[in-house]
Amino acid sequence: MIYRTVGQFKTSYRLDQALFPVRQDAFLLGVILIFAWVVFPLTASEFAFQTLLIPILIYALAAMGLNILTGYAGQLSLGTGAFMGVGAYACYKLITIFPWMNPIVAILLSGVFSAIIGVMFGIPSLRIKGFYLAIATLAAQFFLVWLFEKWAWLYNYNASGAIQVPNLEMFGVFVSGPQAASVTQYFIVLAIVSLMTILCINLTRGNQGRIWKATRDMDIAAELIGINLMKSKLTAFAVSSYIIGVSGALFVFMWRGAAEPNLFDIPLSFRVLFIAIIGGLGSIMGNYLGAILIVGLPVVLNIVPDAMGLDIKSATVEHLNIMIVGALIVFFLIIEPHGLAALWRLVREKLILWPFPH
Amino acid sequence: MKHWKTLAAAAVAASFGASALAESIYVPNLSYRTGPFAATGIPLMNGQKDYFEMLNARDGGIGGVKIEFEECETGYSTEKGVECYEKTKGNAVVTQPWSTGITLQVLPKTNVDEIPLLANGYGFSPMADGKTFQWAFNAPAGYWDAASMLVSHLDGLDGGLSGKKVAFLHLDHPYGKEPVPLFEKKAAEMGFEFLPIPVGLKEMQNQSAQWLQIRRERPDYVLMWGWGAMNAGAITEAVKTKFDMSKFYGVWWSGHDADLALVGDAGAGYKSISWSFPNADAGVMADIKTHVVDTGKSLSNPEEMAGVFYGRGVVMSMILAEAIAGAQAEFGTGVVTPSQVRWGLENLNITEARLAELGMEGMVPPFSTSCANHTGHSGGWILEWDGGKFVKASDHIMPDTSDYAELIADKAAEYAEANAPWPVNEACNATN
Repeated sequence: MIYRTVGQFKTSYRLDQALFPVRQDAFLLGVILIFAWVVFPLTASEFAFQTLLIPILIYALAAMGLNILTGYAGQLSLGTGAFMGVGAYACYKLITIFPWMNPIVAILLSGVFSAIIGVMFGIPSLRIKGFYLAIATLAAQFFLVWLFEKWAWLYNYNASGAIQVPNLEMFGVFVSGPQAASVTQYFIVLAIVSLMTILCINLTRGNQGRIWKATRDMDIAAELIGINLMKSKLTAFAVSSYIIGVSGALFVFMWRGAAEPNLFDIPLSFRVLFIAIIGGLGSIMGNYLGAILIVGLPVVLNIVPDAMGLDIKSATVEHLNIMIVGALIVFFLIIEPHGLAALWRLVREKLILWPFPH
Repeated sequence: MKHWKTLAAAAVAASFGASALAESIYVPNLSYRTGPFAATGIPLMNGQKDYFEMLNARDGGIGGVKIEFEECETGYSTEKGVECYEKTKGNAVVTQPWSTGITLQVLPKTNVDEIPLLANGYGFSPMADGKTFQWAFNAPAGYWDAASMLVSHLDGLDGGLSGKKVAFLHLDHPYGKEPVPLFEKKAAEMGFEFLPIPVGLKEMQNQSAQWLQIRRERPDYVLMWGWGAMNAGAITEAVKTKFDMSKFYGVWWSGHDADLALVGDAGAGYKSISWSFPNADAGVMADIKTHVVDTGKSLSNPEEMAGVFYGRGVVMSMILAEAIAGAQAEFGTGVVTPSQVRWGLENLNITEARLAELGMEGMVPPFSTSCANHTGHSGGWILEWDGGKFVKASDHIMPDTSDYAELIADKAAEYAEANAPWPVNEACNATN
């Protein structure tokens, strides 16, 4: 009923290939954007900004980067955490070497360093595939985290071995560091994440996206129809690592405020991989859904017993939380193995036909 | 009624983060009873919790105001820690971050949020500089105190340290690396060879490579800065390689009864420097027993309560309770604000007489803080494992603070510069 497509005629190819062929989809996205840009900033508390809105956006961006590589180009990677670290450390060095640099420019530039490192570690993908490639990227994970620990120049010879985000100003407003307001940081994160999302949607819908998908689905066939596999795989590594690097810079500069090397260790890689898998590989929207489930849900579950007035020990809540989130992951994967995005696609199709299913 | 109150608290904390609850002081603790470090966390958290439970039951709180002591579970994860900080900061009078990672995250925010940060015996050593770190406290002792005390203790043993070789087995993490500059300085001054041996976070449980190196290098002493699984790993490995336990010293976080109980008699002679000691005969322990344990409010057990970590938890809560009591007396109010608690923490004066009044004789050395000195430099004792429990093996040792006053000032200035604009306490003219 809500999703009725009756009367929405496509009279040109242009209309037929539009991003949202169904008008309701565009309307829904508009509502979400109004919430993200207007309603949340006006109503959210400091707690909501710091534990829900900002981290969900940043994790979704990281998962999007991984999804380009794993979901679209079919190259399995376990090095996401380390590539986020490259972005974060590159941003830290840029900011401390060139203190006059605009923080947003620094964040966007830091992705370039991550892309270069990503391509370097992507070279093995030309010869190895699947699990073997995962092991090669695992090497990147271990090597880079080791480097963050041992190369003191990266953290400016700090006694603690951690990087600390300085207070950075932009047009007279603090945008990072402890003095920055959460709402400013939220807007910056939202702007960058929106920009990257538009970029990703267009990349994956276009020629490059088709090349990646062909590589993913059958690389020999792709080669036979004239796709240069080396170029295809390496561009996937570059674009993916660029986005992951930017998300790593946002992760530290717009959210955490400080980072120690082991923050970027393998648990972070797994977390991002889970978001991408549970959200749905080969989907842009899935990253957001996955991030909401993996990052947002535990936070919400944590405040539920308190809000209902139940007197449960904080440690018990944590145990329950882990069980509930774990059970939900299993549940969602059983009812739709292709992730939350596929689940939404299914629901939408049913809604279009409703109330007259075939 | 109680439900409505917690509901209100949750609603306030979750969505608005304003207005304190009437007639109680909200003291959150970012605890970790789950996760990889839970075994060491639980006795400490129990000690902290039981002391406040006891105050509430015995005296009706502090100065007649009930203490609302609430734990927020972090599992030692920095991310959860920040979540807990945001959740609790609305009403909290203090933040107890409970991990170096969380401390590093919260420290820069202290000047903005104006909530004192209390990291008893951990955190960032330069926090001792109260002029720079106005809102951060690590009373009663920091890691440089520990290093200084260990060096002076070892120097007093057979023939001094000159010409000896000292291995430093440490977690390869900000926490483990912190004392290195001081050790290096002392090694150059006193002419001993200093050999740092890092243990990566991933190899905490398997230290065969490190102990092979120790066997090859034959150091005269091994000092350990370990935490969690690393302590048990090192101690079992030392026993396995038949290292002379009397030459093996740990920092206060490496003196956990349960780690030593694993090896029992074979671990006899192992020592740890500590600013706390579990005195089972102390008055406060008897009060905890009658008011908390016997009424079924404690989560602890007798074996744990006899241990070093439980006693340390009690001491930590005592320090905070004294600060709150001091603030109440100074400002003549019951429900204190965070900035008043900051004053209380800055003007602690824990004397022998006060300890006797509190029923805590011998549980912590006397110390005092000032606006310039946020650590107190209490000194400590060497505790020795006798095969079944830790016993005091030395007199009260004091650190030589002049050795690292400059280091503290340098690192604090460096931090302030990196985090500019960073307000410092200009009004304070005491010296550290």
